[in-house]
Amino acid sequence: MAEEFFTREFDNGLTLVAQRMPHVSSSAITIALSAGVSCDPDDSAGSASTASLWLLRGAGDRDTRQINDVLDSLGCQHHEAAQSEHLLVSSAQLGKNLPELLEIYSDILRRPRLSDETFSPCRDLVAQTLDGLEDEPMRNCNILIREKFYPPPLGNHPLGTKESLADLKPKSLRSHLKNRLTPNGTIMAIAGQFDWEKLSGTIEKHFGDWEGPAPAEVSTSPAQQGTTHITKDTAQVQITLAYPAATINGELYYAARVTQMILSGGMGARLFTEVREKRALVYAIAARYHSLKDFAGLFVYAGTTPQRAQETLDVTVGELRRLAEGVSEDELARAKIQLKSALIMQGESTSARADALAGDFHHLGRLRGLDEISRAIDAVAVNDVMEYVRAYPAENLTTLTIGPDKLQAPNPT
Amino acid sequence: MQFEQQTLPNGLTIIAEVNPSAASMATGFFVRTGSRDESPTLPISGVSHFLEHMMFKGTDRRSPFDINREFDEMGAAYNAFTSEENTVYFGAVLPEFQDRVLDLLSDMMRPALREDDFQTEKKVILEEIALYQDRPQFRLFEKLMARHFGEHPLSHSVLGTPESIRALKRDDMLDYFNRRYSPGNVTLVAAGNLDWDALVAKASSACGHWKDYSVSRDTPENSGTRQSGSVVDSKLLRQHIGEMSAGPGAQDERRYAAYMLAMILGDFVGSRLFYALIEPAIAEEASCSYEPMDGTGIFMTFISADPDRASQAVKIARDEYDKFMADGPTDQEMTASANKIASAATLKGELPMGRLTALGFDWVYRQEYKPMSDHIEQIFAVTSEQVHELTKQFDLNATTTLTLGPNE
Repeated sequence: MAEEFFTREFDNGLTLVAQRMPHVSSSAITIALSAGVSCDPDDSAGSASTASLWLLRGAGDRDTRQINDVLDSLGCQHHEAAQSEHLLVSSAQLGKNLPELLEIYSDILRRPRLSDETFSPCRDLVAQTLDGLEDEPMRNCNILIREKFYPPPLGNHPLGTKESLADLKPKSLRSHLKNRLTPNGTIMAIAGQFDWEKLSGTIEKHFGDWEGPAPAEVSTSPAQQGTTHITKDTAQVQITLAYPAATINGELYYAARVTQMILSGGMGARLFTEVREKRALVYAIAARYHSLKDFAGLFVYAGTTPQRAQETLDVTVGELRRLAEGVSEDELARAKIQLKSALIMQGESTSARADALAGDFHHLGRLRGLDEISRAIDAVAVNDVMEYVRAYPAENLTTLTIGPDKLQAPNPT
Repeated sequence: MQFEQQTLPNGLTIIAEVNPSAASMATGFFVRTGSRDESPTLPISGVSHFLEHMMFKGTDRRSPFDINREFDEMGAAYNAFTSEENTVYFGAVLPEFQDRVLDLLSDMMRPALREDDFQTEKKVILEEIALYQDRPQFRLFEKLMARHFGEHPLSHSVLGTPESIRALKRDDMLDYFNRRYSPGNVTLVAAGNLDWDALVAKASSACGHWKDYSVSRDTPENSGTRQSGSVVDSKLLRQHIGEMSAGPGAQDERRYAAYMLAMILGDFVGSRLFYALIEPAIAEEASCSYEPMDGTGIFMTFISADPDRASQAVKIARDEYDKFMADGPTDQEMTASANKIASAATLKGELPMGRLTALGFDWVYRQEYKPMSDHIEQIFAVTSEQVHELTKQFDLNATTTLTLGPNE
């Protein structure tokens, strides 16, 4: 059954993409604004994270409490997040409550109060979250590896630094947001229960006359990469590795996803089998694929006690490199069915679909149907995986470890 | 939605909620056993959870690698979890794999428990224990449970300790298995797009031979030890504070009022704790949740704050609780909280995996089937008087308190 997709591009640069899902009563919305962490002004790291809290501290005629009250009364499961490229504002609720939510979102995005009084607590909360990361090395290392791997400012720390937060001022953040909270380039994705004509009209009513400049492009500088160790008295050594992968809009994208599944799709995949099942070196190990528009990486995580850390790193890197020796038809078939099955199950969740629609439009400028993705996955052959592994070998690894002692960096092959 | 139920002659109950419009189906074995059932006469702690790992380590027909590979061949989303009172093994698959995933899961439920696999997996369990040592909130929760429940079996740690795990023998585990995994203590649950007749037929052929024996559990009342204490860890930057007090149990109809109470007091956004602590940035995290358990229940409050503001944060939270116990909730709070709970339940209920756990636990705790819409109706039926009355029956300030961080 083909999906019911809808797209509308407004004159002000706002794009609305939507998927109607007939069997659900909920509806989810994801708004991707070009105000992500990588857009933070150079001297104001932490801006996007602070903004993600500050935006909800009063908008239009409503103060903080009234905003929360009305979102609660609509049963909105809402979430605001500062990601690399976007500031994401998203919510899931019953479909019948979506029109009213859109009116509130027009206040939050177009008429946020951003008052001096509510600024400091928002900034302080970000600073406290930054401190909290020190107590959670696993979460911390997965943020820090992106900072090392991606060309700055794409991997910049979402929470900034103590110093940058201390220097952050409400006035400058307000003017930054004025240039960034704009319809131009903003993607609004909706999935679930709705009537398209009515939805399109409601959005036109609330956002059709929204005006704003085109957000400035982000320019990048070379990535630091290399090897980093942070000495800390932890129970487990946190090991993270990253190396380049094909982007979503790249030719070898589907081969990249299949390769990631061969490494880490299920408990029968290579990393879990070799590092955990056979050698019992870890409880947690995983390789994840992450793509920005122009850069993507495979990110590997493993956590293990200090005396077993070097072996864990060596075996893990060995597995990444062993891909070059070949993959079997059986592994390929498992990876493909896992990808397809995950896709179909994700299709049952309105929130997951709204995120996927926004992602497709951002990366590809269009929406992909289940059929298209299934066919593309089916088409990946062993040869394609081998071509991919040659194009994106596990070399020049960016590594970051947190633990009592430094490890020996993996040898180049 | 169609509900189905059948019990096999050996006592295994099978239940399902059939939803032909779903794209997938989820199924799982719900075993009514967990750390609270680890008898004090055995010198072991953590056997329920360790056993859960061993169930993936092969059967007479399958090696550990076969199990993982077969799940992957179906493209399944699968795993298992162990708590103080339940151990659940589950898989979500496309409908065409229903028979195969049942064949695999039911075979796993009669494991080989081979000695060499046991010794290998022991190392993984020790790594898992180490992993949680680097998560202060988890450490705090585990220590708080132990302190709050004192002599009550719910004080038992799920993971156990490195010492208890090292000392555990394969035969101790087999003995535990033979006392807890009787078919009468297990429920096979399924939700989504599934074939009920085929499900029963498969379960009968795969599980019908399991030998039945009697299994029991003590469910004593508990109102908590109400002791306070602190664990000083100078390596931590934040002060993590946990408070626990008694609440209604899973079989108690007052649980709906209890969910409302926790939502009003301590939801992440828009609650009393949010306005008192998060909005002014006195604490970074402050939340209250309610957990119904077998025969008892708990309210838990967690706060994370700068060490020098921690006692201020706790005092403010206490004042909020006093005020709430004196005045009860407002109508606005009642409506907002009911909407939040209903919305979260609806979203979860749209996924077969989400329905599986709700369906399974309704049955395990109360032997009842309730469509999601009935649960939502009961949430909306709770009155502000009932919530206020609940605070008189369960004193929110009669807490067991524990702090973890650089300060005492």
